[in-house]
Amino acid sequence: MVESILEILSCPPIQRALAACILCGAGSALLSVFVVLMRMPLIGVSMSHAAFAGAVLGMLMGFNPFLSGFILCLLAAAVLGPLSDRADMAPENILGIMFSFLMGVAFLGMGILTRSKASALSLMWGSLLTLSNADLAVLAVVTIALTVFIVLFFKEIRAVLFNRRLAAASGVPERAIYYTLLFFTGAVISSNLATVGGLLIFALLVQPGAVAMQLTYNLKTFFWISAATGMLACLAGLTASYVFDIPSGAAVVLAATILFALAFVFSPKRRRTRAGANKSIL
Amino acid sequence: MTEHALILEDVSVRKSGNFLLSGINLRIEKNEFVGVIGPNGAGKTTLLNVIAGFEKFSGGLRLFGKGQTWRRSRAARLSIGYVPQLAQIDPGFPILAGQAVMTGSVGRTGLFNKPGKHEQMEALRLMEMMRVAHLAGRPFGHLSGGERQKVLLARAIVQQPDLLLLDEPTANLDIAVQKEVLNLIDEISESRALTILFVTHDFNMLPARLRRAVLLKDGRKFFDGEAALALTGDVLSRLFEYRLETFERNGRRFVSYG
Repeated sequence: MVESILEILSCPPIQRALAACILCGAGSALLSVFVVLMRMPLIGVSMSHAAFAGAVLGMLMGFNPFLSGFILCLLAAAVLGPLSDRADMAPENILGIMFSFLMGVAFLGMGILTRSKASALSLMWGSLLTLSNADLAVLAVVTIALTVFIVLFFKEIRAVLFNRRLAAASGVPERAIYYTLLFFTGAVISSNLATVGGLLIFALLVQPGAVAMQLTYNLKTFFWISAATGMLACLAGLTASYVFDIPSGAAVVLAATILFALAFVFSPKRRRTRAGANKSIL
Repeated sequence: MTEHALILEDVSVRKSGNFLLSGINLRIEKNEFVGVIGPNGAGKTTLLNVIAGFEKFSGGLRLFGKGQTWRRSRAARLSIGYVPQLAQIDPGFPILAGQAVMTGSVGRTGLFNKPGKHEQMEALRLMEMMRVAHLAGRPFGHLSGGERQKVLLARAIVQQPDLLLLDEPTANLDIAVQKEVLNLIDEISESRALTILFVTHDFNMLPARLRRAVLLKDGRKFFDGEAALALTGDVLSRLFEYRLETFERNGRRFVSYG
């Protein structure tokens, strides 16, 4: 048994998949803290669709699909950022339009792309077991850069997450922080087109942060719990996909959802409010 | 000539064809305590946003002698403290009240620096002054509306501003808590060299130290002078286009329907 596990682990694609799991889980989970606390899950959806549409277009025109995915992702961020700051349009509507538009572009591209539909589909749900070293290197650079950003600017990030307007009023470079975050969202999503894919990444952009939300009032712990959840979901999903021979992306998303359900049921935060409510009645 | 904290010259804000503010001229001296009062939609919050640098505008704005647009340097932003209306926050949001106060010092501390012991002591001292020191370890989202506003007052002061903007800080609080918050604002004004702009539509609830009233109506300045002169039945009836009367009791002035 141990020998067979060691044998599996010595296989390079499996090693790469494991490394990718940790990087993808950590990177998207760190971002999910912002997605959840700034209440912008739709930005995550729109940007992951932008990456997907960009990649399909890239395939169509013979571009590197990850690069074109990244570029369209950044374009989407450049449009979304200022638009969602405008008070005269509800951001939900803008994002809804953006989201459906990008979805249309992606499917149009896939319709035209007659020969290699399979490879386009793999951009949608990724494939952890067929990663190249280059995929992994990009993923590592993006994840490490995001981690460094969070560590260096932790106090500014806390101020911006707490209240963007108040942060701006107190001389925090709120816009720079916000747009850097949008940039990282694009980078993380497009570098993960190869791992869990443009559609399923969305689960990892929300669930880990939502898990942390159930468990802590401390922002530092919040980042740690979120990152751990993301990595655990990815590793558990990969294992399940190997053992039961099911698609890895789907297994990762389901693992993340199970973790969220557990956190929700055992949340001390929710229990405390319930206990508090009882006390006030007595 | 006394030095001015703030000078507005012909300031206008136009959005999709409508003037939210038009031709506002205003001079506020250092350490003045001014109320900006008017009905809903008069442009009070827009005016505050222009001063705070949240809103594009035409015309001139001088802050402590220096001309400013809506883009501000860090130094200019640091000189303005801001307390918003009671804002919604997720009760589970991961920030403690004491940490929320410290977010006010982030800009002054600067990038790559850690706030020192001194800043933390100052934050705690201000929380004591605002009677919320005992809540420092509680999640901010669990506090009552009044407690949150007191924390945000401490947050604004920890930034060490020279000009404090208060945007209806007592809106949506119950009457006793409103009075508490107003008393704290009076205390701040008494103990610090600070210019204060207090926006409200509720002239029954004004801080005692507020002396000057600027009344706004339809984006224009309607009255500028002593608060006592502004709060007359005649002026207020014209301001709100509704018959209002004022009466005095125990040395305080009250406003009521005519």
